[in-house]
Amino acid sequence: MATYTVDYLIIGNSAAGVNAAQHIRKVDAQGSVLMLSKEPYPAYGTPLISYMIEGKTTEDKVWFKDPEFYTRNNLQTLFGPEYEAVKLRSADHEVDLKNGETVAYGKVLLACGSVPFTPPFKGYNAQENTHNFMTLDDAKEAWADVEAATAAAHAQGRESHVVVIGGGLIGLKAAEALSHHADHIDVYELAPRILPAVLDAQGASVLQKMLEAHGVMCHPGLSADEFFSEGNRITKAHINDGTTVDVDVLMLCVGVRPNSALAVEDGAEQGRGLIVGTDMQTTLPDVYAAGDLVQITDSLDGAQRPLALWPIALEHGQIAGYNMACAPNAPQFEGSFAINAVDFYEASLLTSGLINPAEDSGCEQQIFCEGNQYVKIVTRGDYLVGYILLNRPEQAGIYSSIIRNQVPLSSFQGDIFQVAPENIAFDQQRRWERLHAGYPSQLDQLGWKERA
Amino acid sequence: MKRIYAIQAWCLDCKRCEVACKTFHSPFENTVKAFKLGESDLHSRVRVEGTKTTSIAINCRHCENPQCVMGCISGAMQKDPVTGVVTSDPERCVGCRTCVSMCPFGAVHVEEVSVKGIAYKCDLCGDVLGEPGTPQCVAACPNRALIYVESEATC
Repeated sequence: MATYTVDYLIIGNSAAGVNAAQHIRKVDAQGSVLMLSKEPYPAYGTPLISYMIEGKTTEDKVWFKDPEFYTRNNLQTLFGPEYEAVKLRSADHEVDLKNGETVAYGKVLLACGSVPFTPPFKGYNAQENTHNFMTLDDAKEAWADVEAATAAAHAQGRESHVVVIGGGLIGLKAAEALSHHADHIDVYELAPRILPAVLDAQGASVLQKMLEAHGVMCHPGLSADEFFSEGNRITKAHINDGTTVDVDVLMLCVGVRPNSALAVEDGAEQGRGLIVGTDMQTTLPDVYAAGDLVQITDSLDGAQRPLALWPIALEHGQIAGYNMACAPNAPQFEGSFAINAVDFYEASLLTSGLINPAEDSGCEQQIFCEGNQYVKIVTRGDYLVGYILLNRPEQAGIYSSIIRNQVPLSSFQGDIFQVAPENIAFDQQRRWERLHAGYPSQLDQLGWKERA
Repeated sequence: MKRIYAIQAWCLDCKRCEVACKTFHSPFENTVKAFKLGESDLHSRVRVEGTKTTSIAINCRHCENPQCVMGCISGAMQKDPVTGVVTSDPERCVGCRTCVSMCPFGAVHVEEVSVKGIAYKCDLCGDVLGEPGTPQCVAACPNRALIYVESEATC
């Protein structure tokens, strides 16, 4: 006998899950909605955790919705580790919780994101001073541990060492945040450059110099091959160049994998993420998925992979919500492309689309590099398909819109790449249409009343 | 909602809109004080593009489905559900520039400061976030190259 019986069950309480709940409510005011999360918090801006440690925001400002959001939308919530969903039985339309309770549902949405992936390291197991950097609790624990470890090191008359394994976005944001609370930060990235997924070699070397000026030392091409513990703490790491480094706190930010086990164990098809239709339904009936655990088709190169980005999770949630509630003419997901924005200290990095195109992809690239500015523009035929803008953020969204709307580059007046793009470079007709949505129909294009 | 529209044919590239915007959004009441005493803090939310022969003043479009709001990781960028005004809350913004990478018009910028730059954009000169006021760029334009009229697009 199920403990709870609901029309809609949402597993996960972040961008995708919350937006799905909100859009279910737009269509179905009556149906019961239950949200589950193993995190004991209302929804928060996941990427904010590093900014909180830096002091750029505070815990009272990380919440994604106002405090009345759940009650106002009549959403039931079960938030806490005991409410972790541990088994999906889609044939029975039931989900088992960690505390032994069972939820019977009409439709279920898996919006539980991704989980850290840590490859087996010799001598490694999770200890007091090892942390991931995915959740608010991860951040709070790592922050407290680094502060305590630094204080303890200083009491012993030495400096503190934080070692970060993984130089992707998560590892480097963790390194930046914790650098304010530790003496030494070393980041090891097995790939030949930092941020391998969103930068190229030249851009990565420019950014690496900027990070190192702030004491975040990056070691691309290297990783740890063995860890050594004393008591409940890892104290040393052996690096694959033969050196050994001291460890006060170890951050494991190697990578993530989709948190899709619930569905996969129940027989759902998975590629690099859960496979869904354009309505966000998995291959299991009445089981939907949205956000970082979904495999999507990149609209620029056709690659199939998850795109773990906040706006895409919101869009997924919206589409899943509408389709779960059987909205008439419910929107469908047609693929997307990546737009990444990240900042480190005074550095700004915006990247989109194809940034490391294969030799045979038919793409051409232009590079503008001066001092700390590094700009790479990737075009294919008459179209823009990607950019890297390191420390030249101005009007970057114009490029994103040119990619999204496939505006032919031959339609532009003058060069739009060497310097920041402008609206005036669009041809007269596009310029007017872009800038005048909803322009009053009784006015002519000179802003005058039409004369009869 | 009322929106600001730019009329390129009348734009003189005089940038008085930018001056009025900077003054209004400074702690000072008049332009001389704003520019003499607060120059380093002045940011114009309207930007004149082009040259004397062809120019146009670019402002936030307060889009129906604003990409900047969709992308915002901190909840700082919001579209008021009643007035439709899109604003950036400096208390919540962390300066990640996702909004900059998303805005199709390049109408959002982030302060160039080393510690915590925050996103700034047209707020329609409201006294409080989300409430439209009297847009100073429109008032300052000597040639009706910026008009503030009821829009036919949904909020």
